[in-house]
Amino acid sequence: MASLSQTIKRNLKRPDAWIINASLIFICAVCLLPVIWTVSSSLKDRQELYMATPSLIPKNPTLGNYRWMFTRADMSRIPLNLWNSIKLSIGAVIIQSITATMAGFAFARLDFRGRDLLFYILIMLMFIPRAGGLMATYELMSFLGLRNSHLGLILLYPSGISVALFIMRQTFLSVPHELEEAAIIDGAGTWRIFLNVDLPFAQGGVVVVAIFEFIYVWGEYLIALTLLDFPELETVSIAVTKLSGWSAHFTSSVLAGYGTECAAYTMAMLPVILVFVLMQKWFVRGLTEGTIKM
Amino acid sequence: MAERRPQRVDEVRSEGKAAVVGAFIQELVSLRQQKWGNLWGYFFIAPAIIMYIVFQGYPIIRGFFMAFSDYRWLIPETQGFISGLNGVANWIEMLHDDTFWRSFGIALKFTALFLPFTVVFSLFVAVMISKVQNRTAASVYRVIAYMPVVLPVSVAMMVWAKLYDPTFGYLNVMLQNLGVQNPPNWLGSPDWALYAMTIPTIWKRFGYWTLLFLIGIYNINTEVYEAALVDGANGWQQFLYITLPLLKPTFTLILILGSGVISATVESMALFQGTSGGPAESALTAGVYLYRTAFIHGDMRMGYAATMSLFLGIINIIITGIVFKTMRTERA
Repeated sequence: MASLSQTIKRNLKRPDAWIINASLIFICAVCLLPVIWTVSSSLKDRQELYMATPSLIPKNPTLGNYRWMFTRADMSRIPLNLWNSIKLSIGAVIIQSITATMAGFAFARLDFRGRDLLFYILIMLMFIPRAGGLMATYELMSFLGLRNSHLGLILLYPSGISVALFIMRQTFLSVPHELEEAAIIDGAGTWRIFLNVDLPFAQGGVVVVAIFEFIYVWGEYLIALTLLDFPELETVSIAVTKLSGWSAHFTSSVLAGYGTECAAYTMAMLPVILVFVLMQKWFVRGLTEGTIKM
Repeated sequence: MAERRPQRVDEVRSEGKAAVVGAFIQELVSLRQQKWGNLWGYFFIAPAIIMYIVFQGYPIIRGFFMAFSDYRWLIPETQGFISGLNGVANWIEMLHDDTFWRSFGIALKFTALFLPFTVVFSLFVAVMISKVQNRTAASVYRVIAYMPVVLPVSVAMMVWAKLYDPTFGYLNVMLQNLGVQNPPNWLGSPDWALYAMTIPTIWKRFGYWTLLFLIGIYNINTEVYEAALVDGANGWQQFLYITLPLLKPTFTLILILGSGVISATVESMALFQGTSGGPAESALTAGVYLYRTAFIHGDMRMGYAATMSLFLGIINIIITGIVFKTMRTERA
């Protein structure tokens, strides 16, 4: 048996490990290139941006572009847009975490009339095409007076509950049952069981839901673009697409804008990259539980 | 008791759409016989369900009605829920709308450029990562390949627009260093714009599918490979006769996710900073055209846009159906 597993190991290694590693490193480098290029350009000074043969690593790294971006408020709304994005994503994450946790608990742990019926409806609604969903949403938000309002988006984003609900339901299903039974014998009610018994076990699920919602809201483009008319309300993911316009307009040289633009892109990417790298072990879990919708 | 019933729901869900609809009808019929049970349940689901009904459920219904009415945002008289209905007039107009069919063709071309390459490439990367023995290295590769997925799509496209810049972009500098005399003006020329839009889309999305493939590969029991090894199967044969067939559910999922790029909108709108659809409208996908019809042009014809959107949705359902059918019959 030992010899068999050795042959397997050798066999798995056989398509020469170093070829595999070399090509993967190459693919990863190509993957990272646009991001590295942006970050590096944001750290270059004017002189270096002008050079005919740009290099990937800035020779005199400077934070000048960032200082310019944050201090010249008359030319850039990026700090305000960043703040808007932070507000929206934190609001949506909090609401989504609470609603998905409560509903997931009910669907997994409580028995009430029509529960399975509702669950089937939720699944079936995922099959139905959202014809004119955006148009109808626009009308609805106008009617409710929630267009051009951050509150509207904070309510709208977490309403797409399906995936988060499935993740939380799956989480609560895997909490050991014995604990709950013991708590019931001790006379605990539904709330006690939810808060003190099951929720501590479900923290992982809440983290997964929160991360996915944060990344979704931070990067969401189409809905925010449609529902927000005023530049001062825009999120950073909308604002960055308009930078080339203003920088070309307000600055004498396009290149001066180039560094600042890259600084803005870096600021817009930084939060999601940080969350992703720090929380990466949660992603596989969210993907396995969240995408099995068929 | 409470544990067994949700599992039945999961079983039904894994059996496919027909089973879900069947079970739904069954539940509906037997609803009156069910016990009320724990009434706190309604309280716990209320916030999620109310928000879902208001912000997701209602627009589905309203959008369906819109698709059959001449709804114009700037003309309030056309906005009646029932009185606005105009039958199939929108659909007839769509049949004769050259711009729509051109944009639909561009969307199909975009999908045809994007889908096969991305599926093959992400499978290739996933298989390679699965062969890496060093666990730390494997997880680093996974993280880097997945990173573009989490970036905001508009930022990702703007970053690429900077790379594409004909004078200052790094891409053309590299191409010139490699000896290419006249590198294309990527985003500025009608011949290249659609391709220039495809590359960042592949870059942005392949990591997601790579991870799905990887999850599928990691789930394949190693004993299957051991048995194949005893039978003398080489690496290529193992891939062909074990990995590929056992990844069929992943393929189904990915093809369904991938068919969604037919309505790709954001990529084009971010890259070309608006709904122009690029030089000479060469990257005007159907999604951008309908967005423009609803929110930018003229009276903001949301009704007609809803018609186009419903049409794209139906196309998507048909593709999904075909994917399911072919994947099922091959297995049998």
